[in-house]
Amino acid sequence: MATTYDVVVIGGGHNGLVHAGYLARAGRKVLVLESRPVLGGAAVTEEIIPGFRFSVFSYVVSLLRPEIIRDLDLVRHGLEILPLDGTFTPLEGNYLWRVDDHTRTRREIARFSAADAEAYEDFGRAMVRVCRFVRPFLGAAAPDPTSFSLGDLERLLWLARRYQALDSEDKFQLALLSTSSAVDFLDRWFETDPLKATMSASGIIGTFLGVRSPGTAYVLLHHYMGEIDGTFRAWGFSRDGTGGLSRAIAFGAQAAGAEIRTEARVAKILVRDGRAEGVALESGEEIRASAVSSSLDPRQTFLRLMDSGDLPAEFAENIRRYKFRGSSGKVNLALDALPEFTCLPGVGSHLRGAISISPSVEYMERAYDDAKYGRFSRQPYVDVVIPTLTDPQLAPPGKHVMSCFVQYAPYQLAQGSWDARREEFGDAVINAIARFAPNLPNIILGRQVLTPLDIERMTGLSEGNIFQGELSPEQLFFQRPVGGWAKYRTPVRDLFLCGSATHPGGGIMGAPGRLAALEILKKSPGKGA
Amino acid sequence: MAAANKRVVIVGAGVNGLVAACLLAREGHRPLVLERSDALGGVAVTREFTPGFRASMVAPVAGPLLASVAADTQLEGVEWLESPARVFLPAVDGRGLTLWADEEKCAAEIEKISPGDAARYRETRNALEAMSRFFTALLETIPPAMDDLSNRELLRSGRLGLRLRSLGKRNMLRALRWLPMPAADLASEWFENEALRTAIAARGVFAARLGPRSPGTGGRVLFQTGPWGDPFAPVVAPRGGMGALAEALGRAARTAGAEVRTEVEVARILVTGGRVSGVELAGGERIDALAVVSAADPARTLLQLVDPAHLAPSVLARIRHYRINGSAAIVHLALDALPRFRGVEGNGAPSPALSGKILIADSVDAIERAFDAAKYRKFSDEPFLEATIPTVLDPSLAPPGKHVLTAWLQYAPFDLREGNWEARREDVLRATLRLLETRAPGISSLVAGSCVLTPADLEQEYALTGGHIFHGDLAMDQMFSLRPIFGYGRYLGPVPGLYFCGSGTHPGIGVTGASGRNAARAILANLRRENSHR
Repeated sequence: MATTYDVVVIGGGHNGLVHAGYLARAGRKVLVLESRPVLGGAAVTEEIIPGFRFSVFSYVVSLLRPEIIRDLDLVRHGLEILPLDGTFTPLEGNYLWRVDDHTRTRREIARFSAADAEAYEDFGRAMVRVCRFVRPFLGAAAPDPTSFSLGDLERLLWLARRYQALDSEDKFQLALLSTSSAVDFLDRWFETDPLKATMSASGIIGTFLGVRSPGTAYVLLHHYMGEIDGTFRAWGFSRDGTGGLSRAIAFGAQAAGAEIRTEARVAKILVRDGRAEGVALESGEEIRASAVSSSLDPRQTFLRLMDSGDLPAEFAENIRRYKFRGSSGKVNLALDALPEFTCLPGVGSHLRGAISISPSVEYMERAYDDAKYGRFSRQPYVDVVIPTLTDPQLAPPGKHVMSCFVQYAPYQLAQGSWDARREEFGDAVINAIARFAPNLPNIILGRQVLTPLDIERMTGLSEGNIFQGELSPEQLFFQRPVGGWAKYRTPVRDLFLCGSATHPGGGIMGAPGRLAALEILKKSPGKGA
Repeated sequence: MAAANKRVVIVGAGVNGLVAACLLAREGHRPLVLERSDALGGVAVTREFTPGFRASMVAPVAGPLLASVAADTQLEGVEWLESPARVFLPAVDGRGLTLWADEEKCAAEIEKISPGDAARYRETRNALEAMSRFFTALLETIPPAMDDLSNRELLRSGRLGLRLRSLGKRNMLRALRWLPMPAADLASEWFENEALRTAIAARGVFAARLGPRSPGTGGRVLFQTGPWGDPFAPVVAPRGGMGALAEALGRAARTAGAEVRTEVEVARILVTGGRVSGVELAGGERIDALAVVSAADPARTLLQLVDPAHLAPSVLARIRHYRINGSAAIVHLALDALPRFRGVEGNGAPSPALSGKILIADSVDAIERAFDAAKYRKFSDEPFLEATIPTVLDPSLAPPGKHVLTAWLQYAPFDLREGNWEARREDVLRATLRLLETRAPGISSLVAGSCVLTPADLEQEYALTGGHIFHGDLAMDQMFSLRPIFGYGRYLGPVPGLYFCGSGTHPGIGVTGASGRNAARAILANLRRENSHR
């Protein structure tokens, strides 16, 4: 007779692992099932090119919730965050360089505009205040204004009270951040075009919208949150890549008693009489559990692993309508030497932070125009990092790895297929960087080009959307993933969602995994059957 | 008290200014409406543009006017002509699609091209019908004060929430999901046929610096269709053109006790001791006032009429970032005969298919592409247009047998990166005729006269800053409580005694009179409050 679990968790991504960790800590008997040989989902480190280890997909850490680091004792389990300082934007004959040192950043921005240098500090302070207000949203389930249950009303009232206590100017910023485009928001603060272009990039990451599309200021805020939050002040690299972080979470979960199996691909969620009672693996093995939690996205969970007959028709319709629209790609390069930027030659600390190919707002917007009509950007926005400058073990001595996050790469191409056009896309990305660092093509020892289709195939993220679905206003808070079903529960009893497709959304944050666990524990506080 | 006898001055006799005047007069005030032009109506004005041919110069049709506005103003003497067709989409290949007001007829027409969509149309129409009272209430709401969300305000928002709640869970969630969506997504959710989707997308971007893929354009669709319970907005205009509505409102305002003067331009709004004290006219004459209600656009009101010295820096910063650059040009054509559109059957009497809006746009993407040019402040190479032929229902606007066609051309950004609109007026006419020729071959040879209004002309001739017909872009960050600017979304301006009542306030979409009515309610409540404190 097979073992029975309290909860079986589908998917060993960071959220699935966090989720399992919290459940195990509370004494639940938990099993995590990961289809790949490696844990982490989109947060994995792999040796793609012999001797070179890459954070294959997600590559920086900033949003990871401090309470998770504490609760799962991640530092003891090997989590180490290395600083990623500054953002360097190469331009034609010039550059914009922001670092963690205020005085220096101020001086750099003042080369473009004295007013902007002044405004930059005010901006930082204003964002901190808004983030402080928004932060509790990440630490709790989203209250549902349509439910009218006492708990929701109480929570809404609590939020309203906190809102009332905000300064009028902060309320204004909050209102803009919820409704504006990233550029319209930044226009109110700054005049320097490359500064606005680079800052606006945070508003489009993982999103099929342009920097001038309304709603992108919210995505900007979502990313900003990590830069402010307690434990880590800045973006950072996890030692040994994002896989190092996943490993620490896995160790934390195991230490709490969770079981983890890799190369265990779930074929079906077993449902009987409207209740989830376990999963069937592709191997044919069936695993019974009192509850099933899926860290997969809703399309995978409800449309691939379940029979449509197990779901209410309207719910299934809403899941089909849920927007993925992957828009990002990734190019991982093994380098023989470091790239040399024409505007600032030499191996300086400017290479140690993020290097942003975002020379102007118009450049960013035009990159989106391509994507709208099913083309990858001919001149894409690229966020480049060279983690070996902080973590040399990732490559052989003297060699480097370079990670290039790219937008836009629309999942649906108007012409041709991604399989046929992968290398052409890779060339466009390298050219976009080479425009500012001409030696780049000559120092490449090997490359891995990941299109949204590849991301989908390798990680299971539908349409390659890195956030498990767009962070668009109609897919946020109480509407994530579907209105009325934002609290990690589903129409199927004992089936839960715990991935980025639930509130508060994507990024290496862990909040969905944690909150879903708390929801399960709330419903049955005692130790499971 | 002397103050109580002082009057309320309303700047601008547009529809909203007149509605506000009417309602203030009904409550015992003696409003004085000052209009710079020789005609009432602002953007709702009928003029002769070619001898014998008259057109609704700016707003081609009504929003339609809300029933509550007509009732509260006791509007009389307007003969409303509601078009039996809502949208006609002439296709290049010759087969046109007419979306009728009548549900059965419309479903039958849709059935011919897309059976699945006929069912969807019925379902969407039913859903919107069930939601129409909520959307009407939304338009008629004085938005909550987001800067000072007091308990009283919370309670008021709660009331709108209750209305939303009364839709039932399913429609409530729908409304909340649809409002922030891009029109393109809303269109895809409602229909699968591209022509139907295009009709929805066009509604979402009407007079906007937004494309169908811009989030929030779904809400713009719903503001125009929701209150009427139909995915395709009704097309309603008074006999005699939109000017007839303005004149009727002028009569209603005067009957109620308001004074309405034309060709009187307000040059300044006067502030004394931190409070509005009156207005100064272009000639230098001063008129004392207890309150000044501006129906002019917010940028004009705060940046030209009020001395900036009286505004807080935060207010100035907000209004300077108010996006008010228009994106459309208008072309009126005097036609010797009714143009023959492909896909319209029959000769002789004008086909009712041509009575509504005629949409010339190939696809949702084509509209999006036209918008792309506007992002870079260029006149679209391939714009789309929406035309009305008012003479189909109202022959009085042209000599017998002749017709007027009014086209809205997008995108024509006010703030051209290169060149100026003076030099591009001919291009606008050419682009319009080129587009019309694709669907109504030979139309050019019927043109007996024309009138082009570029965004620059709209600014010059109609006192619309940036040539924006809605007094500022209706995007999510300039809607509802945020319209026109944060902190002043309740018709109360940033100087005591100053009020807004124009299209630059909530809801500000189309000629509905809602802004004027909401403003009057807010003003009356505030005047009462001030009076009791005095």
